[in-house]
Amino acid sequence: MDRQIKTLQDKNSYLDLRKQERVTLLEILDRALDKGVVISGDIVISVADVDLVYLGLKVLLSSVETMERLRGAPMAGAQEEPT
Amino acid sequence: MKIYAYGIIDSKDTIDETIFGLEGASVYNISYRDIGMVVSELRQKLQEITDANVLKHEEVIEALMMKSTVLPIRFSTIFYTKEDLLSTMLFYYQDFIDNLARLRNKVEFGIKVIWPADTIKQRIVDVYHKAEHNPERIDLPIPFKEGSNVSISTESPAKTFVKEKFHEHIIEKEFQEEADRCIQVVDDYFNRIACEKKLKRLQTESLLLNASYLVDKDRQNEFKQAFEQLKNAPSDLKFLFSGPWPCYNFVTLTKKSSSVDYFMV
Repeated sequence: MDRQIKTLQDKNSYLDLRKQERVTLLEILDRALDKGVVISGDIVISVADVDLVYLGLKVLLSSVETMERLRGAPMAGAQEEPT
Repeated sequence: MKIYAYGIIDSKDTIDETIFGLEGASVYNISYRDIGMVVSELRQKLQEITDANVLKHEEVIEALMMKSTVLPIRFSTIFYTKEDLLSTMLFYYQDFIDNLARLRNKVEFGIKVIWPADTIKQRIVDVYHKAEHNPERIDLPIPFKEGSNVSISTESPAKTFVKEKFHEHIIEKEFQEEADRCIQVVDDYFNRIACEKKLKRLQTESLLLNASYLVDKDRQNEFKQAFEQLKNAPSDLKFLFSGPWPCYNFVTLTKKSSSVDYFMV
C-alpha cells in the first residue's frame, strides 16, 4: 500500500530514515495490538487481552516519545521546521 | 495445527494470488455463506509479539485490501479448530456483514498532534499573574480580584493553600479549554471530508490529539491536501500523519464475545 507517514522533519539521513521506520512500526503496533475485530473467549488462543491493551498503551507512549525525538529538541513553531 | 486469523473479507472465493503469512505459511480463505475469514496454519503453540510478526500480519491484510473489503482482525487471534472459527463466523455474521458494508471503499488515516504543553501552561500562568496585578484590565474569576469581598488573604497558610488549589484548578480548566479549541481547529480541516472519526484528546499531556478518520477511497487526495493546509498554517503544533490504513479503528462489533454467550447461540 502506498503508505504515507509524515512528520514535520522529513530529512533524508540514514538515521532519520531509521526513525521513520520506527514510527511506521509503532503506528502499525498501535493499531494491530488492540484494535480491529477482537474475538475473545475460550475458542481462541490469544495473548491475554490485558497484555495487549498494556502493550498498546506502551506503544502509544513510545510513539509520542519517538515523535518528540524525531522532531528534535525544544518545541518550536511548525513554520520554523523544515518540511 | 492451529489457525491464525488475519481478516474478514467480503468474498467466499479462493484467494487467487499467493500470499505468505506467519511462519511462511500460505494464506487462504475459509468461507462462511457469502463472506470469508482469511487465515494461515500455524505450527507453534502461541505466537510471540515480535515486530516481524506484527509487520507480517499487517502485510497480509494490506495485500487482501487490494481486492477486497477487509475487517482487520486483531494481531494474535488463533483458533484451535476450523469448527471454532466457523462458530465465530456464525455468531458475528450480521456484525461482519454490517461492518463490511459500512467500510466498503473506505480507508483509515491517523493524525497525532503534539502541542507544547509546558509552554501552553506557562502562558496561562503568565496571563493570570498579570491579571492578578491588573484586575481591572482582565476579567478574572472573583477569587483573584483584589479587594473583592471573597478575596482570600495570603496571610493564613490554610487560605493560601485554598488559593493555590483554586489557582491550579483555574489553570487546568483553561488548559483543557485551550486543548478543546485547538482540537476543534484541527478537526475542522478534516471533518468535512471524513465519513467517521474517532478523536482521543490528551492521552498524555503532550499528545493533544490522537485522531483516526475514516475516508472514502475517492477522497484520499482531498484528505491529504487538507493535511498539507493544516501543516502549513502557522501554529505551535506538531503532526504525525499516517495512512491509508486498514480500518482498524472503525470495526464495531455489537455482540460481545464470551464463552457463555457463545454456546447460547
